[in-house]
Amino acid sequence: MIADQLNLQLNAGEFVCLVGPNGVGKSTLLRTVTGLQPKLGGEILMSGKKLETYQPRELAGQVSVVLTSPISVGAMRVDELTAMGRFPFTGLFDRMSEHDWEVVHETLRVVGVEKLSHRYVHTLSDGERQKVMIARALAQEPRLLILDEPTAYLDLPGRVVVMNLLHDLASGHDKAVLTSTHDLDLALRHADRIWLMDDVGRIIQGAPEDLVLNGSFAQTFNRAGVRFDPLSGTFDSQNSGSKSVFLEGVGPEVVWTRRALHRAGFAVDEEWIPGSPRVCVMPQNDVITWQVELVGQTITFTTVYDLLQSLPK
Amino acid sequence: MKQTLKSPTSQQTKRLWLFGLFLLLILALFLLSLALGSVSIPLKDIWGVLIGREGVRESWVYIVQNSRLPRVLTAVLAGIALSASGLQMQTMFRNPLADPFILGINSGASLGVAIAILGSSFVGGLFLPAMSLGGEFSLVLAASLGAGLVLALILLVGRWVQNPTTLLILGLMFGHATSAVVSLLVYFSAPERIQAYSIWSFGSFSGVNWTQLNVMALVILAGVGLMALLPKGLNALLLGEDYARTMGLNVGLLRFIVLLSASVLSGAVTAFCGPIGFIGVAVPHIARNLFKTSNHKILIPAIILIGAAVSMAASLIAQLPGSQLVLPINVVTSLFGAPFVVWVVLKRKRGATSFNV
Repeated sequence: MIADQLNLQLNAGEFVCLVGPNGVGKSTLLRTVTGLQPKLGGEILMSGKKLETYQPRELAGQVSVVLTSPISVGAMRVDELTAMGRFPFTGLFDRMSEHDWEVVHETLRVVGVEKLSHRYVHTLSDGERQKVMIARALAQEPRLLILDEPTAYLDLPGRVVVMNLLHDLASGHDKAVLTSTHDLDLALRHADRIWLMDDVGRIIQGAPEDLVLNGSFAQTFNRAGVRFDPLSGTFDSQNSGSKSVFLEGVGPEVVWTRRALHRAGFAVDEEWIPGSPRVCVMPQNDVITWQVELVGQTITFTTVYDLLQSLPK
Repeated sequence: MKQTLKSPTSQQTKRLWLFGLFLLLILALFLLSLALGSVSIPLKDIWGVLIGREGVRESWVYIVQNSRLPRVLTAVLAGIALSASGLQMQTMFRNPLADPFILGINSGASLGVAIAILGSSFVGGLFLPAMSLGGEFSLVLAASLGAGLVLALILLVGRWVQNPTTLLILGLMFGHATSAVVSLLVYFSAPERIQAYSIWSFGSFSGVNWTQLNVMALVILAGVGLMALLPKGLNALLLGEDYARTMGLNVGLLRFIVLLSASVLSGAVTAFCGPIGFIGVAVPHIARNLFKTSNHKILIPAIILIGAAVSMAASLIAQLPGSQLVLPINVVTSLFGAPFVVWVVLKRKRGATSFNV
């Protein structure tokens, strides 16, 4: 048994991200909800009807999936692969009607891969291929779309595009979208709701901001031995920050300077403590300079790297 | 398929041309197979025999009717059956190296035949009455029983085992186990019997007479008919069983039918012709490369045509036209097949289509 006492709802029009440390059972939960794995107890209701009472084809019309591992089909075109999403609706010999093809083309357009329609799937990049798999899932016209770490093999821009797409599908196309992801940052930014799963099998639901502000995030990930910083919304470096430094300036340059100082093991104080360095960030036109005042001396640097080198270890 | 841009139409046209070409090729190979051999028979006389015209030389009528025609038809059936079986195995296990015998079916058939040919020296008179009962079907029956046993095992195990790879490994192990028993039998047998068994294992399209051919045709048509119901399911399996299930397919039933069809097809060929290698592995790849698709709606008719053509070509070459010698089919398929595949593989630039299923 991996998780217990779960009481969760998924609504149409919502984009939900399932997050949590590795190994807590996110994939298992998704596989159970889609019927790929039998449940151990309790009830799963899809549109008010118990999951087990659905015929496979009926269920396919309600929910479709996108899995993590990239598929390795030989020679199939993007539109052929996407058309496989129409399987629940075509007969034994997969005869596609006009309407079926309309759905396929519309899906390709919505996902943004229409230009790739006649390309072979194996010639696409990982990101494009994953989008095609999303198109395939969409062509099934499900009410619920479930994805298991769909962005695992994508680069950062690819991941952003997919998360944006998923959010649009939920809000703009009235679908319920549930995805598990390790991309906390993107999840916090794009999800309407988060299901936060911890290592004892509990799931806490809420808007991303709620879970950050009430400390749930910090607590869950602290158990896994990592410190979540509510201020930056990211995971902090493990440095204790015993050395002090005072930072002045405004704007994005200051934010990044602070990050660099944290990495170097400095705690940035609210007020200057005599004896500790004073760093002043001065953006001028296109040039940024850093001025460090230490033991009576003032030195100017033009790069963060040099700045860090100059500070006491 | 709906045509919205130029590309799919031109691709479709090209495929239609290819289909037409293969039909012509099959016709040509068919006629050549009837015309060439130790004796060359003119085409107009072949036509005469086929339509039952009077006045054709007796010996030629005999050769065509009783030797060449059954042989070429056997080759066609075997080629189609092996290719169909190989295609299904490659798709089901998503493994480009899968062949019709990957589940140990022909090892089972070999075991049946080995027991029939070699086993009688152990159990003395027990097999002889059984052999005479089976008559001309005795070897076929023995092979079918052996193949059937392994098939039943596979189907049984297939219901319980979730992971296709596990099933594959079990099939391989069944194959090894039965091969071991065959080796044991060979080890303790007299030379003449070993030779008889050896000759069987070389594979031949010549040993099938009309009665047997009728049975073989029936079984193979049934197997191919089963497969013809499955293009959608097979396409879904390309994505994996998880995706197939979420697309609404009954994966358990699909797996059962695929296993049944593929095993019956490969078992039938082995029972009537002996174990014949290479065709089942190569033809699906040739089809994928020529028709540039993994879509089974196109592949199924394609492998039927290509399988028939390849098998007829191999049979023709094995006959060594103009001489009395005949090569074993397996020798021809391997000797010509292996270099051909090497050439195909090396000439491709990226090779992605070659190796993915």
